[in-house]
This record gives sequence, structure tokens and C-alpha cells, in this order.
Amino acid sequence: MSADLLLVSNHDTEQWAEDGFPARALRSSDEVREAFAATSRRRNPVLWIADHPEQVVPLAAEAPLVVTNNRLLLLNEAERFQRELLQIVFRIVLAPGEGVHLPELDEMKDILAAPNREDLLVGGSTDPVNQLVLLYRGNLQPVVVPYAWFSRRAAAPRPDFRDFEITDYGQTVRLGKYEASVDAVLYAHDPEYRRKARARMVEEDASFGGALRRLRLLKGVARSDFPDLSEKQIARIERGEIKKPHASTVTAIAQRLGVEPSEIESY
Amino acid sequence: MEEERVEGQIRDDERVEPPHVTILHKTRAWRLALRTGMFLDRVPPPREVPPELEDLVWQKRKQLRRKWDEMYPENPVFSQEDER
Repeated sequence: MSADLLLVSNHDTEQWAEDGFPARALRSSDEVREAFAATSRRRNPVLWIADHPEQVVPLAAEAPLVVTNNRLLLLNEAERFQRELLQIVFRIVLAPGEGVHLPELDEMKDILAAPNREDLLVGGSTDPVNQLVLLYRGNLQPVVVPYAWFSRRAAAPRPDFRDFEITDYGQTVRLGKYEASVDAVLYAHDPEYRRKARARMVEEDASFGGALRRLRLLKGVARSDFPDLSEKQIARIERGEIKKPHASTVTAIAQRLGVEPSEIESY
Repeated sequence: MEEERVEGQIRDDERVEPPHVTILHKTRAWRLALRTGMFLDRVPPPREVPPELEDLVWQKRKQLRRKWDEMYPENPVFSQEDER
């Protein structure tokens, strides 16, 4: 049972608790109020899961106006006013509807129960006006990815941002016929995920050249696509023949790849 | 289709280096290198992949390598086929 995962249970999710879902189950409105009072000042995020907004909306009437780290995942849609109330009480609220997609309930249960749930996705939406995809990890941490990131590979099908879905138990982002692994998305957008992912590898080329090669390929950039550097120079750096490239070379590489020079070695 | 998903996938966006196929099972994933046939990550433990599933994926390595090369022409598996 996890202290940072609370399940406001009703008859639909009661079975989750019986199946060993690793959350503390709150079975009455008193338990909900007490748990909120106990967690509202905690520094570490607490993830609340509720089936229906009515189970948690009453908190808005009595909650002190403090900035909490509580996050709420609603499994069913909320009315606009309910959502606004809940956004007063919870730092992050994720609920289906209004363009937000959540995985199927069976998959959602397994994602939330997984020990690595922060590396899986529990929802998201696309924003055609700002050309952004907003994704939520299993701890409800948001990740914002520009449309352009999904469209950078010439050999891949064109992403259809109107047809968005989280599949494979939170491990794949599907946009029409195009699919991206969540591992690749997080590796590209979260330095901490990158550090953990590299630590999990059996072996890797930990040199500057190895990191440059991984970053370049992740960005879909050819060796010949560096304006001020030759293909041969990039190849020599990647092969480790130039172990410490000049600072101006590193800056030029970083500029082309859209990262800070100091970030290159984190890939 | 569902069976193919369990056997191993190459999605349109993967971490590109090194070339690999991903065995997905519910919330877990194992990356198997297409160059060497070795698992790339310690976690989740490779020993938890059923050997018959690993063998099934590896038996399809020629198709998977071809697919990888089509999808990621900038980082092909290699120019010649190898044997494990």
C-alpha cells in the first residue's frame, strides 16, 4: 500500500482494492476529508484517484486556501464548474473529456499499480492552436511536446494530431498511423529520465562521442547537416578520434541540435 | 495483431541507438538489440522474458532488421547479416 496513492473508492473501484491495488482506499466522506487534511501540507506529491467528481468536489467548500501538492486523477468526466472547484483544491487535475484522452480502465489500473508508473502515461491531449501535445505521466507530472518533435522523421507516417491515443499500457503515443514510444519521448524531454535510463543499460558508450551520436540520431539529424562542421569532423568526434572537441565546436553542435552545450553528455 | 504486439515492436519513434526491437508486455518493456541479440537494459530483468518468446522474436530478426532499416535509414542495423 502506497502512502502517496489514495483511492477514493466506490462500488466500481472497490474491486481494485480487493485485487491488491497499492493505494490506501478511502471509503467514506469522513475518510476523504481526513486524508485531505493530513496530506494538504505535504511537500511530496500525493496522487488521488477518484471515479466521479462528486466524491471530491465537497473538499472545495472546506479546504483551506493553501497551495497543496495533491494531484487528482478523475476516471470520469467533470462539469466545467466542478473542474474549476477541483483546481482550487488540487495542484493538478486530470479528467477525461474536452479533448483529454485516458487509457482504458483496465490498462489504467495496471499503469497506476506499476512501480514505474511515472515512466508511463495516463493521459493527454493535443492543442492545434499552439501545436503542442500535453502528456501526463503516471504521477500526473505533465510533459509538453511540440508537434514538430513528432514530425521530424521523414521515413515515419505523418502524425495525425486529431487522432490521439495512449496505448500499450501507457507505453505508446499513437497519432493516427504514427506511434512513438513513451521511452523515446521521455528520454528526449526529461534529463532525470535520461539519467535513469542510462543507468539501466547493460553497457553503453559513455564518451562524449557516444552521447553525441545518440542525441544526433534522436533528433533525426544527419552528420552532413551541421552548417559549420564537416561530416568527417562529426564522424571523428562520434568515433572518439577527437576526444575533447574545441568549445566553439561543441557550441556549434549544440546550437544545431537545439540543446545547451553542457546537455550533450546527458544523452 | 495483438499477438504481434506481444512478440515485439518497432515504433515510428524509438531511442534510435542502438537499433532494437521492443518486447512489450503490459506495463513492462524489454529492448532487444538487433545487432547482437542481447538485452539492452538490466531493468526489467531480461530473465523474466519467457525464453520461447525471446527465441520467437530472434527467429524473426531478418524481418525486424529490414523493418528497422526502412524506418531508421540514418542508423541501419548493419550492412551484412550476422548470426548470433
